[in-house]
Amino acid sequence: MLAPRSEVAPSAATTIRLEGVQKTYRRNGVPVAALRGLDLEVGSGEFVAIMGRSGSGKSTLLHILGLIDAEYEGRYELDGQLVSGQVADALAPLRNRMIGFVFQTFHLLPQLSILDNAALPALYARDRDALRCRADARRRLEEMGLGDRLEHRPNQLSIGQRQRAAIARALVNDPRLLLADEPTGALDSRTAQEILGLLAELHARGATIVMVTHDPEVAAAAGRVVLIRDGQAHDRRA
Amino acid sequence: MARPTTGALSLLFRFALEGLAGQRGRSLLTMLGMAIGTASVVAVVSIGLLGRAYVVGLIEGVGANLVFAYGTGDGINPEEVSFEDVEIMRARVPGVVEIAPVLSGSDAVSIDGEPEALSVLGVTPSYPRVRNLVLVHGRFFSDREESASEKVCLLSRELSERLYGRRAPPSDASLRIFGVRFQVIGVFREAVESAAAVQKSEAAGLTAIVPFSAFRNLYPVRFVDVVYFQADSQEAVPGVVESVEEILRTRHRALSSFKVESLESYLVLAQRISDAVTLGLIAIAAVSLLVGGIGIMNIMLVTVTERTRDIGIRLALGAGRSDILLQFLLEAGMLSLAGGVIGVVIGAGLPWYLGVLYGVEVPVSAVSAAVAFSVSVAVGLFFGLYPARKAAAMNIVDALGYE
Ligand SMILES: Nc1ncnc2c1ncn2[C@@H]1O[C@H](COP(=O)(O)OP(=O)(O)OP(=O)(O)O)[C@@H](O)[C@H]1O
Ligand SMILES: [Mg+2]
Repeated sequence: MLAPRSEVAPSAATTIRLEGVQKTYRRNGVPVAALRGLDLEVGSGEFVAIMGRSGSGKSTLLHILGLIDAEYEGRYELDGQLVSGQVADALAPLRNRMIGFVFQTFHLLPQLSILDNAALPALYARDRDALRCRADARRRLEEMGLGDRLEHRPNQLSIGQRQRAAIARALVNDPRLLLADEPTGALDSRTAQEILGLLAELHARGATIVMVTHDPEVAAAAGRVVLIRDGQAHDRRA
Repeated sequence: MARPTTGALSLLFRFALEGLAGQRGRSLLTMLGMAIGTASVVAVVSIGLLGRAYVVGLIEGVGANLVFAYGTGDGINPEEVSFEDVEIMRARVPGVVEIAPVLSGSDAVSIDGEPEALSVLGVTPSYPRVRNLVLVHGRFFSDREESASEKVCLLSRELSERLYGRRAPPSDASLRIFGVRFQVIGVFREAVESAAAVQKSEAAGLTAIVPFSAFRNLYPVRFVDVVYFQADSQEAVPGVVESVEEILRTRHRALSSFKVESLESYLVLAQRISDAVTLGLIAIAAVSLLVGGIGIMNIMLVTVTERTRDIGIRLALGAGRSDILLQFLLEAGMLSLAGGVIGVVIGAGLPWYLGVLYGVEVPVSAVSAAVAFSVSVAVGLFFGLYPARKAAAMNIVDALGYE
């Protein structure tokens, strides 16, 4: 499975500090509050499961953590660097190199093979040539058990295979922070366990992981469970 | 965290190509719009140049590097060019290859028993060369015949046809001019006959030309009707005009009215007119270039909207806004570039091909092709900018949620 990789230094310090984060969506001018003054701290190397009812704001929180959503109020420090209130584009390199994101609905590009999909974050990083990017993507896909599906398009794969391709893509730049929105939601329990094993290995090598899940069994794999309720985070030690 | 830009362009180039390939039919049609715009600009310039060359040919057909001087016969002191004037001009005007003084008189000729007015010109053997006359039958008279005042004449084609039909005049043909029998030795026409429309030609109509010396012996003429000069180059023309004017000024009374003209003014006028017409045509063709550009903008806007989710994903994976902007700008640029190339090939190739087909030399302007090509690429980039900016400015979360 995962070979030890020197790129992820165990000492890599990833600290998330959210203070009073408020996110209000506007639907046809009607404000819908998703997060209401949420505070959250995630220490370096932590493996956190986020739980909560549907619509409680878990995906919203993950988007903010992943620097995908920059339109919120409150403070967000990542690695001691203030990232809230920054121009969204200034965060692109950080998003690209430091964070791996697994979307709830995968968000694979339908016109590209999963190999090209997985290589995309590496290509946008521009620190390797295209060949190296593809080699890295191939290795990640092989680790996910997709070695014989490299040239398939997402719609030629099962939901579970798509989910694994999305995880491979999130890992291609060796992120120190992995954000996964229900990474096992579409998998049978055996495959889910495999994926959890992968995440645990990644965690063991020093990566910080924040994972959204509905499944208490999956949440048990994490060292810490955070419950989102009424737009706020409540710690629930596992 | 500054990111290296090495290979950035080639990467975005690849993404742009993938984008275009994903909608081949639409890309081709948009390209075609651009190609038509570019082709019409290039073709219109060719047509303009062709028209210009035609008009210039008409004017120059009257005689290359021609200068002519004549008295207008009016003004306070009406005077005409004298024989002495001609001799002094012959001696003093620099840069002249040939000089051809022309005497003019009239007589009557009987055609089918009816008398008709005949214009008679007394000319030197240099005249046909200076005035670009073409022999239809026979020959011109020689220097010897000129100095011997031989009674020989040439007929204008119009006159010959009225007298003898389309055939050559019989070898023993003769014409009675100034009461003396002249042997017909040839028939001439003007090289460019429609040139008569540009400048009233003395050689058109029912005309006979006879040796200068013979004319002078038989007809009591005191003045030269007109003197032609052929300058040795186009650059020499203004100098010839000036020195002929100078001679006339010093040898005649003040306020006498002479005209010394060259075809220069006619040429300049004709060129200006054809340039103006060409410019107007280019403006019309440029509209189609503009329409092509709007087509690109339209297609790119549709593309950007369709690929909203794609753009959101790329941004979420760490693509910079500039990456997205450039990718879509490259797509628009490649559409217009390809359209421009095809347009230049069609716009330059078609006139060239037709030229080969009909044996006409069709001028194709490399400058116009280059300009049309660059303009079409610029138009594509300009009209691609707005959709590309729209793509780059997307809200990532909204874009990801877009279905
Ligand atoms: N783009 C949006 N526009 C308006 N409202 C939104 C938008 N996205 C989410 N919301 C609202 O914000 C709230 C939180 O949504 P979010 O997607 O974060 O929930 P979630 O906890 O991830 O739910 P689930 O478990 O079903 O994925 C919901 O009430 C949702 O309706
Ligand atoms: Mg969700």
